[in-house]
Amino acid sequence: MIVVKDLHKYFGDNEVLRGINYEIDKGEKIVIVGPSGSGKSTFLRCLNLLEIPTSGQIWMEGVEITDRHTDINRIRRKMGMVFQHFNLFNNLTIMGNITLAPVKLGLMGQEEAKETAVGLLTRVGLLDKADAYPGQLSGGQKQRIAIVRSLAMNPDVMLFDEPTSALDPEMVGEVLEVMKELAESGMTMVCVTHEMGFAREVATKVLFMDAGNIQEENTPYEFFSNPKNPRLQDFLSKVL
Amino acid sequence: MENIYSMFEVAFLRKNRWQLYFKGLGVTLQIAVFASLIGILIGTVVALMKLSRNRKGKGTVFTAIATIYIDIIRGTPSVLQLLIMWFVIMKSCSNGILVASLSFGINSGAYVAEIIRAGILAVDPGQTEAGRSLGLSSFQTLRYIVLPQAFKNALPPLCNEFITLLKETAIVGYVALADLTRVANQVSTATYEAFMPLIGAAVIYFVVIKILSTLFGILERRLRQGDSR
Repeated sequence: MIVVKDLHKYFGDNEVLRGINYEIDKGEKIVIVGPSGSGKSTFLRCLNLLEIPTSGQIWMEGVEITDRHTDINRIRRKMGMVFQHFNLFNNLTIMGNITLAPVKLGLMGQEEAKETAVGLLTRVGLLDKADAYPGQLSGGQKQRIAIVRSLAMNPDVMLFDEPTSALDPEMVGEVLEVMKELAESGMTMVCVTHEMGFAREVATKVLFMDAGNIQEENTPYEFFSNPKNPRLQDFLSKVL
Repeated sequence: MENIYSMFEVAFLRKNRWQLYFKGLGVTLQIAVFASLIGILIGTVVALMKLSRNRKGKGTVFTAIATIYIDIIRGTPSVLQLLIMWFVIMKSCSNGILVASLSFGINSGAYVAEIIRAGILAVDPGQTEAGRSLGLSSFQTLRYIVLPQAFKNALPPLCNEFITLLKETAIVGYVALADLTRVANQVSTATYEAFMPLIGAAVIYFVVIKILSTLFGILERRLRQGDSR
């Protein structure tokens, strides 16, 4: 579904990604862990070209998105993204946040978009917040809305960039719960996170990134019980 | 007391002079309103031009044009700009209010551009990223997400700019347009009494600007409804 070939990314002289090769199949739940500065967020952001790779290729459903002539806006419709800092549109109500893109992109009429939003809001238990503004919600609520906003586009894959890192501890659970349900529904997911419990429980594969590359890839059980890379062993000894 | 009333009578009532002030205020307001509208329009476009970036994240030819425009306007006195507009560029135009509005609008546009640019820069880049990640184009993201928030940020300094603009229109006296200040001056010359006409004009400016800033305050409060952060 997503194929990454020899992906390099420089910020100035700093090489953040050093030739990543990876393939993600439909329905997989990839969890990426690693120390900060390892390039995991940059890698994720390259997947929908929020960061433009310096070199290398990325294909999404057979289309090379790193090709200059590809209409990236069209590809992004199919790739939902959830951010660490939620990034809900502050000038719009929750309903406006969810319906803006589907309506303005002509995918749904206003009424249909509203119905979809109501359905999704009910699913995450936040229907009563439809007319509230983002500033009036808690962090956990904001993040659940952000997930719903992406889902309203009916994406084929969801990218999560440390979705629980900016949350108060007691709100982490409610967001992970929504993500777990999403995983169970068969959604393809790529998730950068520090939640090892989530990785163990939900991931089909766990990747360890360090120094701009994928150092180890394994099933969650093997990954946590039998890590081979010494840096991963060191990393796990610190976080577990 | 008697004396003050007679001064007032001479300055405002005799020969229906109050009508002159009203006409003068009308000229002032017309120029100020048209110039503000032109200023907002130019300012928004120029702000976007100045912020435009190519694929490599560098400024474009539009950035350069915007910078030159802002530099020229800010680097020369507005009286001089008015005189140039009046006696050089639009010499053959007989509609004085139009010429003055254009001159002030083009002047204000440079300041508004910087205000709006600051407003845009103050919007969290995450807002743009979220918009783009949903598949919205950069124009749509700007139109529906960034600019509404940028204008809200820009409201206090914009209010400032319009107040400045309104008062600065007083220099149209230089090109013989009968605005409020010039009318007051004419009356004081005709009656050999400066106190009442000048103080009267000052009070009128003050009241108009008070109303304007109050309206901006209401607008600002209304737009802030959503955020209780």
